[in-house]
Amino acid sequence: MNKTALYITAASTVSHQPTFGNAGFSAALGPVGADHALISPDYKAYIEAGLLRRMSKILRMSVACSKECIAQAGIGQPDAIVVGTGLGCLQDTEKFLNTSLTVEGLLPPTSFIQSTHNTMAGQISLSIGNHGYNMTHTQNTLSFEHALLDASLLLHEGDRNVLVGAADEHIDILDDITGQLAFETGAALTSGASFFILSSENTAYTMAELADVHVVGGVAGIQEETDAFLGRNGLATKDVDLVLFAGNPVDGALKNVPYLALSGVYATASAFALHYAADLLQADRGVRNVLICNALRESNLGLTLLRTVEA
Amino acid sequence: MGVSITGIGVVSAIGMSVEENLRSLRESKSGIGPLHYLQGTKASRAGEVKASNDDLRRALGVSTEYVSRTSLLGLQAAREAWGDNKRSGVIRTGLISATSVGGMDRSEVFYKDYLSQNKPDYQLLTTHDSGSTTERIARELGITGYINTLSTACSSGANAIMLGARLILQGTLDRVLVGGTDALSGFTIDGFRSLMIYDEQWCRPFDESRAGLNLGEGAGFLLLEGEKSLELTGNVPVCQVSGWANAADAYHQTASSPDGKGATLAIENAIRRAGIGLGDISYVNAHGTGTKNNDHSESVALKNVFGDHIPPFSSTKAFTGHTLAAAGAIEAVFSVLAIQQNLIYPNLNYQTPIAETGLAPVAQLNTAVPVNAVLSNSFGFGGNNSSLVFTRYE
Amino acid sequence: MDSLKEDLKKQIIEQLNLEDLTVADIADDALLFNDQGLGLDSIDALELIVLLEKYHGIQLVNPEEGKEAFKSVDTMAAYIRKRKAA
Repeated sequence: MNKTALYITAASTVSHQPTFGNAGFSAALGPVGADHALISPDYKAYIEAGLLRRMSKILRMSVACSKECIAQAGIGQPDAIVVGTGLGCLQDTEKFLNTSLTVEGLLPPTSFIQSTHNTMAGQISLSIGNHGYNMTHTQNTLSFEHALLDASLLLHEGDRNVLVGAADEHIDILDDITGQLAFETGAALTSGASFFILSSENTAYTMAELADVHVVGGVAGIQEETDAFLGRNGLATKDVDLVLFAGNPVDGALKNVPYLALSGVYATASAFALHYAADLLQADRGVRNVLICNALRESNLGLTLLRTVEA
Repeated sequence: MGVSITGIGVVSAIGMSVEENLRSLRESKSGIGPLHYLQGTKASRAGEVKASNDDLRRALGVSTEYVSRTSLLGLQAAREAWGDNKRSGVIRTGLISATSVGGMDRSEVFYKDYLSQNKPDYQLLTTHDSGSTTERIARELGITGYINTLSTACSSGANAIMLGARLILQGTLDRVLVGGTDALSGFTIDGFRSLMIYDEQWCRPFDESRAGLNLGEGAGFLLLEGEKSLELTGNVPVCQVSGWANAADAYHQTASSPDGKGATLAIENAIRRAGIGLGDISYVNAHGTGTKNNDHSESVALKNVFGDHIPPFSSTKAFTGHTLAAAGAIEAVFSVLAIQQNLIYPNLNYQTPIAETGLAPVAQLNTAVPVNAVLSNSFGFGGNNSSLVFTRYE
Repeated sequence: MDSLKEDLKKQIIEQLNLEDLTVADIADDALLFNDQGLGLDSIDALELIVLLEKYHGIQLVNPEEGKEAFKSVDTMAAYIRKRKAA
């Protein structure tokens, strides 16, 4: 991706942490506890009542973050909307599955309509009246990185501002399923949505430069891939100020932080890590670059490199 | 500049291969009928692939039972499109699949037992997420690296082709297998019934009496190659994908706008991207689901773009049923075949034009005209509209 | 007070997730599908068809038929009474 530079000019996250509308949150963020509930903004301030009444958690989070990003970046309309989601609209999917298997008569359609993975991207376009490119990527733990890569392609093709983000929602049955399948999650299962404006122009709103993003499905050697990725960007591991990782830390970096301890566990938690990194780069001038190393699922590797922008 | 297509594969209600599908299209033989393999649904008819999961697993050499029908159908079509191509350390190869339900066909088996506390098999859920559907196909084909899944309801398959072409043109990949797959499930059948757009009779796209769609299942895949890959593989292009566009209708969660805004944008931008004139389009493979809303809105969009000179058009949904995320990919394969064989497919079950628009689709197979460029439309829930343009390889 | 109409209002609020409304907010003659009224849409129309079956045992197969019946709470009550009497 050695092409023109790309910039993050807005970021917004709803999570189990005080992230929403709270620039500088990265400075004082402790681990997320199992007792931390989702911290929801006043959705009525962001979403029309007629749309809000039908929206599940994942839709509310996504639309609110999107609107917040557009306001932050001071743009009218993004040229495109790109969303990543690992498991999609679970609340409505489970609801309709339940209805479909238990109700004998006519079935209420709303939860079916809202069960499709592109409901977030669709609802965002509907909420802001956007007629641009509208895409949804769903590659489990790499869904967000794929969305980010698509957004980068769009900017290289000539778009100026792309709204890109990711969302996943927790439903109760997930705890049961992870227990039954003996998945080691390491931290509580949570919900979260993070959205960004990715721009081809460095503006007064710029938080950080997105230097590169890379995805590897069916990865053989995480260390080799990471070294090669850094090498393509003119860096060695010792040059990386901070690694935010899921999976294993990157040996040789100055500092390694496991981001799932902050965000909780969901398929697109690397989007939370990106917001955390962008927030930190603005607040702490001592940090010049951050690598997000996402191997939440060990066969899939997502690498995202952020750099500070000279004032 | 377009991207070359060097391989195609398809499985649908009208056949297990490109050859079988082509024969059914030529013979105007629909694959829609009473359900045989998926039991316990309320649909009187659908476009089922004529093979059980066991048949498919045997034919494909997949040993595990923890595999979704969506993956099996995808693998069947992907293998055919991949053909005898070899893995390569030099050619950066990717896989992009599209699905709307992923492993829902397995998940609903689990959930039924879960609700009745009848020893639910949690292992079935390992195939639930859409991404795993694609990872299974990648593993069987030995593809690693760029493996991705798109899910934009009924336009997903077309979007996978568009993304693949863009990745090649930007030099991210040299070669990419792109397509879509969806299996029938009680979930989707009940879903479209709940919307009251599932026709219990034969679906009748673009007919005044149309009353909804019949669902189908299947998969379509295409192998796209850039110049570097072509040089190394020596493959001969069968066709080109030269235009693509996606646009949001931003009108309503399910309904298409009466003025066809999103569809019009998608069609116009795709043809502009292809760099050809409106008059160069030989045939339009329409989305044409057979619902009141889609067929009206799509007709309006065709009029918006082409005015009084609408090219011959038809929907092939009455052959295959509406295969959701696979539809755009299956119809892309049909579009390639239309160019290769100079064919315009009939729109089955059509009798009377829609009163408001008065457009008549092609009702009989036409083998008498050269087909050099095909526009293929795919429109989905959430106002997700995509159009692709395929052109003869010169 | 017409108890059928009161019941209908409660059922509409529940079925359509009109969480900000109470029974008192819905006038008997308020236009359900008009932006000056409740501003409902085509998805709500399908939900109202489900409501008729679930609570009143009335099947309405053709969504077009619902257009007249679903104008207001008044017309819905009249439609239910007509179908029950038939």
